[in-house]
Amino acid sequence: MMQIKNIHAKIGDNDILKGVNLTLEAGKVHVIMGPNGAGKSTLTKAIVGHYDVKVTEGEVIYKGKDILKMPPEERALEGIFLSFQNPVEVAGVNNAYFLRTALNAKEKYHNQKETNAAEFLKLMKVHVEQLGMNTDMIARGLNDGFSGGEKKRNEILQMEILQPDVIILDEIDSGLDIDALKAVSEGINRMKDGKKTFLVITHYRRILDYIHPDYIHVLQDGKIVKTGGPELVDILESQGYHALQKDT
Amino acid sequence: MQPITLEIANEEHPLYERVKALGIPANKTEHYRHFAIKPLLSKEYDITIPTVGTPIQGTKLIIENGVVKEYPNGVTLSFIDDFQADSTHYDALYFMSHVLCQNVINIQTKNDITFEIEHHFSDKNRFIPYRIAIQIEANTQVEVFESFHTKGSQESLLLYGVDVYIASESRLNWIRNQNRYLDEAAIVGSHHYHAAEQSSLDLHTFDLGSGNALHIYKIDLDSYASTNASHLLLATQEAHSGNVVYINHNQPHSKSIQESRTILKDGATGIFDGKILINHDAKYSKAKQNSKAILLSKNAHMYTKPQLEIYTDELEASHGSSIGELDEEVLFYICSRGIELEEAKKMLVLAFASILIDTLDNAKYEEIIRMDFELAIKD
Repeated sequence: MMQIKNIHAKIGDNDILKGVNLTLEAGKVHVIMGPNGAGKSTLTKAIVGHYDVKVTEGEVIYKGKDILKMPPEERALEGIFLSFQNPVEVAGVNNAYFLRTALNAKEKYHNQKETNAAEFLKLMKVHVEQLGMNTDMIARGLNDGFSGGEKKRNEILQMEILQPDVIILDEIDSGLDIDALKAVSEGINRMKDGKKTFLVITHYRRILDYIHPDYIHVLQDGKIVKTGGPELVDILESQGYHALQKDT
Repeated sequence: MQPITLEIANEEHPLYERVKALGIPANKTEHYRHFAIKPLLSKEYDITIPTVGTPIQGTKLIIENGVVKEYPNGVTLSFIDDFQADSTHYDALYFMSHVLCQNVINIQTKNDITFEIEHHFSDKNRFIPYRIAIQIEANTQVEVFESFHTKGSQESLLLYGVDVYIASESRLNWIRNQNRYLDEAAIVGSHHYHAAEQSSLDLHTFDLGSGNALHIYKIDLDSYASTNASHLLLATQEAHSGNVVYINHNQPHSKSIQESRTILKDGATGIFDGKILINHDAKYSKAKQNSKAILLSKNAHMYTKPQLEIYTDELEASHGSSIGELDEEVLFYICSRGIELEEAKKMLVLAFASILIDTLDNAKYEEIIRMDFELAIKD
């Protein structure tokens, strides 16, 4: 579904990614783990076209095209979605208005009938309730005054409504209590349809117990150094990344 | 055809000496410094002093080229040739407009009322001075929506102003919606509002578009009087536009909140010159002032001057000012959901403006201003 080929990238003058190669398969859940500063978030930002990250070499092939040549909004319209580690607060931009604008932009891009306001509100309410969110957040500013957990649920809400094909979740589990983690994980599981691809960045196994990954990739010093099945998490938990360094 | 100089003023008028003492504004006059007043006053105009006319009763106060055509039911209309202007005003054009205006349009309200003021001005190369006085009866609530209709008035100058007296325990909600473009008359408004004991003034100004306009306010607060002043300015193309607002806390327990938000496109220049003066007698007053500006172009200029001048120790006061660009991280977040960059910018600008539009407490006027704003941002 997506091929990440030899990606080198820097932030400012610092080389962060030093040749990442990764193939994301359709319908599979890929997890990237790695120590702090390994380049996990930089990789997600490179895929979605964040202005901080300068890709100096390599390509990301998706639907036969190198997406690195596309602006961020086009990558999103093609079906790539990033759930941010720290979603920004945008006072004054109504949550529902924002999300409907995004949905209508996607529908327009794919020559589909645009969802009208009434239809959208109905759709949004269903997802808001499924995620255990307060319905008053529909009329609130985008992430404005939201707690950490509410922001993460809002990211999942956006994902469920926009129905992307490649879903990148950057530490979606950080700062979540048990109930929120469960609600977010259920949201992710609802999206699994055998076609969508997930790329999950995490430091902890607890979310993996809910979403059942297919592949674990370890990113260290800007490169994928190990790929394995879910059993790799146990090794990392018991021995740490340090042990892998010895292996490699 | 002649320029606007002291020579066109009547030397016999009691306020002539005040104009002379302050001097006709020039490029170095402090509150006109960034407005380019000199070229505006130096132009040759066909000077027209409005007459009284024969107004009819209707629903609005409609003023065409300075002449009252209609006035609303529920108010008393008169014309005053010896109006007692505020002799302590700081603006020369406040006095100049009084000197030139032979009959002040005087409105008295007795009961709660909402009405609109429409300024119509359609002639080219014309200079029209006029003034409106509004006296609000004690213990009443009045709402005024003021708008300008100036198509076809290029190269003209409208010098007008209001003198408003809000009697004790009354409330005035004044909304000025000025939506104008480059090919329309320049406007200079010089105003005085006096809020008597325990009265309140909500002053919401919206200056939108590519036209040149400057409004100069002096607001006087008596004991327990309050004002909530908000100013939204969206200037486009080569517009010079803004507000100079001096709020005087004259007596104890008076309160002012002032919020200015400015968005500048293209080569526009925005002005916010706000001074809150808390006099020695105005103990236990509260004052809060804030100015924020967003520059959407490298060629736009914002001149902001938030000032507090305090002569007593017993008070609460704060002020602040910021000028910046749209937040890149926020723009990226919006674009990452498939929304185009230009649309994302529009969304953020509207959000910035909505903070002031949404506070009007009047759905009809909020809608009008929101539509005007969206039209102006496309200009």
